[in-house]
Amino acid sequence: MAESNEIALDSNGWLWGWFSWSRCSSTMLRTVEKKIFSYLKTGYRGWYVDIGPVVGVSDKIWTISLNQDSPKTPIVLLHGLGAGVALWVLNLDTLAMHRPVYAIDLLGFGRSSRPVFSKQAEEAENQLINSVEEWRKEMQLEKFVLLGHSMGGFLAASYAIQYPKRVKHLILADPWGFLEKPNDVANKVGLPLWLKALTYVVIPLNPLWAVRFAGPFGQRLIETIRPDIVKKFAPFLKDDPSIISQYIHQCNIQNPSGESAFYAMMQGFGWAKNPIVKRIDKLDPQISITLLYGSRSWIDNLNDETIKQIRSSSYVNVQIISGAGHHVYLDKCDTFNKYVLEACALNDTNSKLMYSTNKEDLKLIENDDVKNNDIVKKKGVYN
Amino acid sequence: MNLSFAGCGFLGIYHIGVAVCFKKYAPHLLLDKISGASAGAIAACCLLCDLPLGEMTSNLLRLAREARQRALGPFSPSFNVQEILLESLQKFLPDDAHIRVSGKLHISLTRVYDGKNVIVSQYNSREDLLQALLASSFIPFFCGLLPPRFHGIRYMDGGFSDNLPTLDENTITVSPFCGESDICPRDISSQLFHVNFANTSIELSRQNMYRFARILFPPNPEVLSNMCKQGFDDALRFLNRNNLINCTRCLAVQSTFVVSETLEDSSTEYDPECLECKMHRQEALVANLPETVMMIFQDAIDSANKGLINWLFKHRSIKLLSLLSLPYTLPVDVVYATFTKFILNAPRIQKGLMEMSRYFLEQLSLVFPQINVYYQPIPQTIKCHVNFMEYGSNIYDVESIDDSIFNQQKTNLNLTLKYNDAKPWTNCKQSTNCVINMSDLTMSTINNDTLENILQVTGEQETLMAYYYMDNSSEVHITELFDVNNEKLELKDDCIRLHQPQEESLQTFKTGDWNENHWVVQRNEKNHNRRNSNQPSFSNNLSKNDRQDNHNNHPESESNWNTTVYLNP
Repeated sequence: MAESNEIALDSNGWLWGWFSWSRCSSTMLRTVEKKIFSYLKTGYRGWYVDIGPVVGVSDKIWTISLNQDSPKTPIVLLHGLGAGVALWVLNLDTLAMHRPVYAIDLLGFGRSSRPVFSKQAEEAENQLINSVEEWRKEMQLEKFVLLGHSMGGFLAASYAIQYPKRVKHLILADPWGFLEKPNDVANKVGLPLWLKALTYVVIPLNPLWAVRFAGPFGQRLIETIRPDIVKKFAPFLKDDPSIISQYIHQCNIQNPSGESAFYAMMQGFGWAKNPIVKRIDKLDPQISITLLYGSRSWIDNLNDETIKQIRSSSYVNVQIISGAGHHVYLDKCDTFNKYVLEACALNDTNSKLMYSTNKEDLKLIENDDVKNNDIVKKKGVYN
Repeated sequence: MNLSFAGCGFLGIYHIGVAVCFKKYAPHLLLDKISGASAGAIAACCLLCDLPLGEMTSNLLRLAREARQRALGPFSPSFNVQEILLESLQKFLPDDAHIRVSGKLHISLTRVYDGKNVIVSQYNSREDLLQALLASSFIPFFCGLLPPRFHGIRYMDGGFSDNLPTLDENTITVSPFCGESDICPRDISSQLFHVNFANTSIELSRQNMYRFARILFPPNPEVLSNMCKQGFDDALRFLNRNNLINCTRCLAVQSTFVVSETLEDSSTEYDPECLECKMHRQEALVANLPETVMMIFQDAIDSANKGLINWLFKHRSIKLLSLLSLPYTLPVDVVYATFTKFILNAPRIQKGLMEMSRYFLEQLSLVFPQINVYYQPIPQTIKCHVNFMEYGSNIYDVESIDDSIFNQQKTNLNLTLKYNDAKPWTNCKQSTNCVINMSDLTMSTINNDTLENILQVTGEQETLMAYYYMDNSSEVHITELFDVNNEKLELKDDCIRLHQPQEESLQTFKTGDWNENHWVVQRNEKNHNRRNSNQPSFSNNLSKNDRQDNHNNHPESESNWNTTVYLNP
């Protein structure tokens, strides 16, 4: 539980450390994370949850909790690829006002331990999901609202399929890996030769290889190619917004075991090998889903109608947050928080009614003093 | 609601498609501010000025064709994007363009010396606006070496610092690259990897890679046409998704209510019952690019494909040949480009050289004041009025000489000297001797006005200074000075004034060389000046003793010359 219980970096020996190209250290990551969380208004607690031998010998998951004493259903946050718990910093305060909030670094990411995952897509996925389940057991959570962003959304959906009893409500923020890889992508445009060569070289590499390859210039690289992420935090972290890029850099220059797990689950240029769309029918119809998309994001590709058709007997709420991109929770954090809180509140007050999706029932809930008036209206407009 | 267009070089054709769609289905969105960088700025300007989009399309296609013609593409030395741009903008922009777009058009520029982004929105003149547009689309080495100036500061392409300037939260962003923009192509891709280049989100998809390669190298007209269509479709989809396509009546109602509406607001205010709106939307959903624009594309495609020459040049072997012959054609091209540039700049260079040499001479004359190389433009015409009076022999009577003597003048002569100096400036330092033909008294009425003035001055005013001296040949020289200004000035002031050779000049006459119709006037300005400054203490009192001495040496009757010389440059 204590913070002194640091995860040792991959022990290649002290000699290798001298020649290490990237300057990574778990202490640096801890310091930066602390700095970011110092902007939180609510008190938080961070500790390692020992989940035992799930993938490696003894895996630990870094956990952040806020408002733990609240009796309401907790919400668990799963971050996306290359991110960590600290990127939720804009949302934690608001979400923790009403219920307990748990945010974890997925196994192989952030400050959690980094075991070697399987190279098989399904197995790697199962390993990740099992680690979440083991963590839940360790935390003794009975039921929770599961919120995942990007890759976290993919895992959240997968988790909900495997452990339906634990998930009260599934909130997917711009999830990755829903659609199948189309066949005709490559044939569409005649690419120049150099580009083909480049893709050929890059494809076998881990997604974020460039950050590690750049070594000491990695942070500069992040600031150069994704200045928008840093900018999104600027109003919140007034003093030093560069700590965000520092944090992302530190998260990703360590041994990229989580990334390779992701790479195992991926095919082509970022498509999922086992897309959720194929499996969504296996999801317990009792689980209600809220899908949150940024209007500038992938919504045009993802046919939300298909999910609705497949899950015609359950509650699916699709929200498009205008002006937001892939990082919905950052771009329009207020709107995002509002929707998440509404989704949670919906489940708190009238969980039984939720399992049928008739509009009349929804209106009943509405009368039950839940502020989903807005949701129904929006649904009407966007459908 | 504001609009923002991304800079994208030749992909600007996408913006035309978007613009066509907005003009047709959502003209109410074009009333607010529109910002842009590079090609986006030009598109924004065209939208705000309401230029014919068909013309713009054909212009862009022409530019693309010209760029494609050469073996090195747009990097050929003789291909000048800026010039072609300027030419077409000059042609199409209305005269009051700067008034129309001031405050509305926001152009993103990159300041060269510190790389910071600058957004301009005020334009004082049409030239100003043109300059800003050109500066915003200046890509170093592609367009030239020296970036253009705007308000005296050098700027380059806004795409280097802020390619997609967003003015506020409710900005609709338009980008021809698939990414996180409101209106952009939606490629079929996993959308996992994004980069953010100068505020433009670009997804790392294959199509985007292709587009990226086409920013500076325009693709063939078919691809351009497809891009334009894509822009139209994407814009239409955006409008449809946000319920922004309304009938004119609903629009009128809306615009009276909300000035700055957000996306959400407009969707709630949308009245789904309006049949006309529904019709309008239905119609829009199946709409395609307007015929006029399509025709232009078709023409361009045809002209690029048909004909024997086109067929020949499309052949791979010809392409290979042109590439192989590059080492021979390139120097010719470079020489040609250099030569044209030189010819164009020749007048400017000459002027610059002249100014430099002049500056050099000035510095030289400052360093060595003794060497008089100072170049002063010589007046072409020097007019010289000489007025002289003759008075009687009572000059010997010292007592009787007083100021009233000038009233007793007997003869007045007026000379007008017109002196055309066409000598080269190297001669001007020498004292010029010129011959004056003394005119008859009756002829002297040419400058009646001046003559009378002189008379008046000599009559009413006292001499400021009068001095008499004898030179080597024992001739008496008399010089008197008058202040020709009619102001009442104190003597002291006058003395100062006298130092200025422009105001008055002195003329000495050799009285001994008197000839009826032939005089020699010695003009030496420098001498006069020195004399003036050396003898400021001379008073206007004529009854001086030393003067008498002078006169005693000359028994014959004397003439007292009172001369005033005007130098009219």
